[in-house]
Amino acid sequence: MTSITSAQDRPVAALRTRGDNRARGGAPNHLISAGATPSETTAGTPQRNDPAGHARTVTLRIRRQDHPRSLPYWEQFRVRVSSGENVVSMLRKLRLDPVTSDGRRVGPVAFEHNCMEEVCGACAMLIDGRPRPSCSTLLSELGDLIQLEPLPKFPVVRDLMVDRARLFENLKRVRAWVRLDGAYDTHERAPRMSQKQWAADYLFSRCINCGVCAAACPQFPDGAGALEPQADGFVGPAALAQVRLLNAHPLGGYDKPDRLHAIMAEGGLSDCGNAQNCVRVCPKQIPLTSAIGELGRQTTVQVVKDLFGG
Amino acid sequence: MSSIDNPHFVLRRLHSLLGVVPVGAFLAFHLWENSQSRFGAEHFNTEVVDALSGLNYLPFIEIGLIALPLAFHAFYGLAIIGSGRPEPLRYGYTRNWLYWLQRVSGVGLLLFILMHVAMTRIAGLMDPAIHADLFGHMRAALSNPWVFGVYLVGLWLAVLHLSNGLATAAISWGLTASAAAQRRFGWVCLGLGLLLGVIGTHGLIGYLIAPTTGIA
Repeated sequence: MTSITSAQDRPVAALRTRGDNRARGGAPNHLISAGATPSETTAGTPQRNDPAGHARTVTLRIRRQDHPRSLPYWEQFRVRVSSGENVVSMLRKLRLDPVTSDGRRVGPVAFEHNCMEEVCGACAMLIDGRPRPSCSTLLSELGDLIQLEPLPKFPVVRDLMVDRARLFENLKRVRAWVRLDGAYDTHERAPRMSQKQWAADYLFSRCINCGVCAAACPQFPDGAGALEPQADGFVGPAALAQVRLLNAHPLGGYDKPDRLHAIMAEGGLSDCGNAQNCVRVCPKQIPLTSAIGELGRQTTVQVVKDLFGG
Repeated sequence: MSSIDNPHFVLRRLHSLLGVVPVGAFLAFHLWENSQSRFGAEHFNTEVVDALSGLNYLPFIEIGLIALPLAFHAFYGLAIIGSGRPEPLRYGYTRNWLYWLQRVSGVGLLLFILMHVAMTRIAGLMDPAIHADLFGHMRAALSNPWVFGVYLVGLWLAVLHLSNGLATAAISWGLTASAAAQRRFGWVCLGLGLLLGVIGTHGLIGYLIAPTTGIA
């Protein structure tokens, strides 16, 4: 959870400022509402909603698309925001009053979000040209012109909503699970692992399947035009990292050769081109390229076993 | 067994292996031999060209150990290059630029090597006079600034392709697993690339500055 500490610090600090004002008897409670509507903020006193004085108006350029098969188009909006907000809260605010910069009232912009704390992976999109989860992208990190596009490489459902089913297909392709049931006892007591191994494996268990690594990977095929979830081409860094994780698991290790054979087929490990964008953009700071290096070693050993036995 | 029934993995690893040995090893040897150009025509034509021409099983070495592995590496590389969609400007990281450069240099090298082999080895086979004084032939060719420029670019593309290929092959084969090891070995490959590039550049300049007297 270390990765989101920095993202969470700022909003917490902003809340404390509000609390301090309250404690000093500055403003009465009912005036300190975080969720002010755009009409309130533009009409009246911005400092009421943003005691730190960071309220500003941002211009939003959003690439919209009405249907999976229709052509995309750009629309521009102006939204009054405060620095403690993130991209999701800005989009929710825009949804209340979807009027473009040139005054047209349009259908609300469709987008996905669930957890708001970078654990569900639903809200990834292209923010100023970079793939990021929109919940952990704070407006204080962005300028006055913000450009939003749907996550590339995935089919657009509508506006900023994409179909990420392909990520699940890829997890199935590499057998990213642990078999618990069999004709034999898998284990008698709880399986043990060293603290050192646990610490190393934990890094890979943080994957939220947001698709950001796949979007940035030059080898991950562009499936934006696909109507059915694809199950071919490079499986992508996230699925490979799960192979690394589950091969090390005391029970998952039973199926290690099966997983290695799965990633030795087309679209597997050797389709990685070592551009290493994945590890740079991963919001959870998962050591994806270390996973790829470790799997390189595991497959080298596996091919020797396949060819020479053992 | 996937690795036996399905040749995908073995083909990819073969592509990687052949790029290092024998192709990469040959490049290092080739640059080392040609760096002797500065000792002049007599030394180069006898100690380098004639010595190599007199090797036993030369056709087997040239075709089996250099041409065929190089052809497999080049054409398999061309076959799989289309699966990538580089975005070096959107993601300006060094490794991502190298990913793009590796593919650009691969295509450029194929063209350069075809030209290079045609104007040296093939030309030497066609015309015994060229083979007899390969030094003079190269000196005349490289005196043209355009040819010199093309050779300089070809040389540094080859060195880049080899040294970056070594760094990524180490990841693919699992020699360097951790990010720290990959970074460390990356510096080693950079050093190796610079060394080979300097040796090669020295060799190119050697043709122009070496004494011409005493042609064998």
